[in-house]
Amino acid sequence: MIKTKPDTAKSIITVKGLVKRFGDRAVLDGIDLEIPDGQITVIMGGSGCGKSTLLRHLVGLYQPDEGEICIDGDNIVGLETKKMNGVKRKFGMLFQGAALFNSMTVGENVALPLREHTDLSEEIIQIIVKVKLELVGLTGFEEFMPHQISGGMKKRVALARAIALDPKIVFYDEPGAGLDPITASMIDQLILDLSRKLKITSVVVSHEMKSAFRIADKMIVLHKGKVLETGSAEQIKNTRNPYIQQFVHGEPEGAIPFRQTSDAYLKGLLET
Amino acid sequence: MEDFFGNIGRTAGEILAGLSRLTALATQVAITFFRGFFEHKLVRTRHVVHQIVLMGVDSLGIICLVGASVGMVLALQAAYQLRQFGAQLYTGSLVSVSVTRELGPLVAAIVLSGRVGARLAAEIGTMKVQEEIDALSTMGLNPVQYLVVPRCLAFLIVLPLLTVIADIMGMTGGFLISSLGLHINPYLYLDKTFSALVLKDIYTGLIKSGLFAIIISLVSCHEGLAVEGGADGVGKATTSAVVTSIVLILVVDCLATAVLYYVLPS
Repeated sequence: MIKTKPDTAKSIITVKGLVKRFGDRAVLDGIDLEIPDGQITVIMGGSGCGKSTLLRHLVGLYQPDEGEICIDGDNIVGLETKKMNGVKRKFGMLFQGAALFNSMTVGENVALPLREHTDLSEEIIQIIVKVKLELVGLTGFEEFMPHQISGGMKKRVALARAIALDPKIVFYDEPGAGLDPITASMIDQLILDLSRKLKITSVVVSHEMKSAFRIADKMIVLHKGKVLETGSAEQIKNTRNPYIQQFVHGEPEGAIPFRQTSDAYLKGLLET
Repeated sequence: MEDFFGNIGRTAGEILAGLSRLTALATQVAITFFRGFFEHKLVRTRHVVHQIVLMGVDSLGIICLVGASVGMVLALQAAYQLRQFGAQLYTGSLVSVSVTRELGPLVAAIVLSGRVGARLAAEIGTMKVQEEIDALSTMGLNPVQYLVVPRCLAFLIVLPLLTVIADIMGMTGGFLISSLGLHINPYLYLDKTFSALVLKDIYTGLIKSGLFAIIISLVSCHEGLAVEGGADGVGKATTSAVVTSIVLILVVDCLATAVLYYVLPS
């Protein structure tokens, strides 16, 4: 596989000095990062490192306490609703639990953004729904209800819904979570396909090393609300940082101790 | 002592905070509702109609049953007292006036706060837990506009209509019990029923039921949107939606009755 070097592509998302506090605890503590256009960027880190919180900031679900987030040229921090809705048209998001609307069929779920945001005729919407479902390998599933299909299929439908409006960027929150290895690798393949064929910028939040190394053009490792290391998959694999080494190899003992006292845990939470 | 006053303070604080969140939601709903008259695609008629079917048509049976039984019980109890004055004939007047002014709206609201309010809170709460609300908002769809407004609007249409049905069923129940069980002359009963009723009785009842509809739908949607955590949170929200709705219904009922009594004297 030929990979373009991350440094050569221009950034589509830029985050500067992002800080988010919940109470006294800074979950994100001065994050600076750049997401290159048209590539797959994987944001990694252990549980509780702030990666999901970061993702929620990128899609505008949370407002930061400090810092700025630029998506395709617009700073979305404190952006008024109307302009923010314009920015939201540029991205789609795949949620961890797929987040399909249970009262609607698969077809209606995919059609929802089209019906709400465009004035396309019903026939054209049906054609687009068919094309998008075909793209994720689920031809003919329009009439199924979400509870009738498997977890992996739900994620694929959610992906079809996320790309319904042909976004420039797709965010993935733990795409492989809760799936068997085969289904998870199918989702990885879809992410790669979308990125290579449609030039969609992908931002993947994950802690699954195998999948991360398979798909990543660029990796960002978070630890305790800070960016620990940034680089290509190769660079991250060969880093000397003991924490990342432990993370990459999935070892129980290392920079992060196996045993934790509750005092130390609470102290760690408050450490900023 | 400190604990005692601390608890009072905390509870009062929580109630005030809840009320202010509720007012904020109400304002947002009202703004969206009025903007809906001018902006294309803001409030979807399709969604409102869908909700009307879910809330209204499916609640018909229970409303008829409850309305009729309230009317019957009221007729029996009234006749029991009125007989002492030889005024059993006035059972019809008493039933019709008390059902349209008070019991119809109140009973319909309480039954539907259990049936519809609980459903709204559980539905929206589950959507919150399963990230569906977040999904809506990343798609650029405002959850208040997309979920809350159609539900409030539908319920504002449904509850007064069901109240009318409860009124009619209540009077029918009273009529059946009086003519079949208490041997009051049916013609005289009907005559008393309609001569006692004035238009004001009916529309004050409907004004109240409109207020109840706003309370139930707002409280339930608010509880649903405020769900934190998983299944436990949804359960708590559902209970809290029904309890808060009923308490607020009773408070507003007292206030509205007093206001209507003094503002619109017959």
